[in-house]
Amino acid sequence: MANLPPVQIENIQKALNLTQKLRSNVTQLFQKLSDGFDDVENNDKTLLSEIQKSLGSVNKDFSDLETGSNSLTQVTGSGNSQLLCIDPVIDKTSTYSQILQSYKWTDKMREQAAYAHALIKENPFKRTHVPSGLFPKRIRRNQLAYSYPPNRLDELINLLQVQYIDTMNISVVRPLGSSAVVQVVLGKTLKALLVFRGIVIEWVKVKGFMEEFQNEDGKVDIWSSSRYEVFRKITNHVTAATLHYYLPEMPDLAIKSIMIWLQSYSTLFSAPCQKCGKFLQNGLPATWRCLRTKKAYHEQCKLMIQMK
Amino acid sequence: MGVVSVYMFPVPEGKSGQQVVESLQKSIELLGATKTGNFCVDCETFQTSIQNTQQRQVNILHSSDHPASCFAILDAGTCLVADSLFDGLMQKLKHYYQQRKGSKIESKGQRYEFGDFVFKVGSVSLASSFKGILLEIEYCPCIIAGDCWGLLKEMASSIVGNVAEQQPNVIKNKLEHVYTTADTMCQYLEHFNNYKKQTIPPTAVSTGR
Repeated sequence: MANLPPVQIENIQKALNLTQKLRSNVTQLFQKLSDGFDDVENNDKTLLSEIQKSLGSVNKDFSDLETGSNSLTQVTGSGNSQLLCIDPVIDKTSTYSQILQSYKWTDKMREQAAYAHALIKENPFKRTHVPSGLFPKRIRRNQLAYSYPPNRLDELINLLQVQYIDTMNISVVRPLGSSAVVQVVLGKTLKALLVFRGIVIEWVKVKGFMEEFQNEDGKVDIWSSSRYEVFRKITNHVTAATLHYYLPEMPDLAIKSIMIWLQSYSTLFSAPCQKCGKFLQNGLPATWRCLRTKKAYHEQCKLMIQMK
Repeated sequence: MGVVSVYMFPVPEGKSGQQVVESLQKSIELLGATKTGNFCVDCETFQTSIQNTQQRQVNILHSSDHPASCFAILDAGTCLVADSLFDGLMQKLKHYYQQRKGSKIESKGQRYEFGDFVFKVGSVSLASSFKGILLEIEYCPCIIAGDCWGLLKEMASSIVGNVAEQQPNVIKNKLEHVYTTADTMCQYLEHFNNYKKQTIPPTAVSTGR
């Protein structure tokens, strides 16, 4: 509206006035027509002359408006959208003030965050002394505990073979590709079969010295249990110990410690229970070896110690 | 197959062999053992028949636990474990080795199992006359006598008492070596020889086994 020429504004103003005048005249005419027919006989002439007068003025107003509207040009451009700002409905809602307030808030927050960043940069407060670069490495090792290359286990077993050459005979077979099956012969007491996945012990079986882990076809049999009760019991204990010594972050250490622990079974038949001093309990020798001290205990005696 | 200890159980005066065997069986059953059939260990003695040479003996033993084997033990203690066909071979050697008459001695009785232990209560009869009682205790998972002797002794003493204290000579000599069935047969032979040496028969009445 503001960018229109003044003449145009005047014309529009005039046209609006004419429209108003026309509308009022037409309204008056209709008013008279609806009211004035009650006493047609008395004032017939005056009424007709009045209607004629009104119709004449309506006719005059209409022709004026027609000539005035011809002088108006069409408003081009963004059209009615420009008039939105004078829409009074928007002024009644609080949207504008709310937007303004939230803008102020964000501005303030940004400002304070900048101050906080500057302050924290000056005073670092770390909870651990480990450089942050090590963390991703440790997480990666966790995942890799199962997926070490086979030669890694071979190296470890070679090391253990040399270390325990006097007490244990350790051998590795790989019947199904990369998963290693390690057979440990402990003195003339027992044989243990450890099935590895990567470098983690997955399955344990213990049998007597005279029993075999090969079935009739000469294949490694990891499933069949010992025919003796004492070795079936020890299988359970060794399985429990593998869980106790499970250490995915340092799998080498886990295997080394379980080998040291397993060695304590060399006195399976000759060591009496450290608690009750007897060899037998329910026909079984002291089948449990303490995970820390490696002392021999009966299963029941162990439970009694733990309860204390 | 594990370590075996064979004990001679004395028959007290005034009791029959049958009574003592029954009381032994009862105490084993009380322990929780289950009956797993019968067993028999027999021994025959052969002697050299050639004159003017030193008399030599060979003892042929059979065990029902090893039905396909035959154990031939010389008096020097050497043991040969062969197939049961060895009996036929001994018959062929009749001119050199002759069976001594009335020398067949055997131990027969019940077999029990308890966990990894095997008990055999046998009454010994020489030429069908009762001689005494032998109790065999076997601990199956172990093969080194020296390792499990304490354990065996503890189990034996709960059944036979003080008799368990004495260590069989065979075990004494083989504490660190792998124990075999041949050693068990040597123990039986030792006991059989002791019974044969007994000139006076035991006071108990023959059970007729």
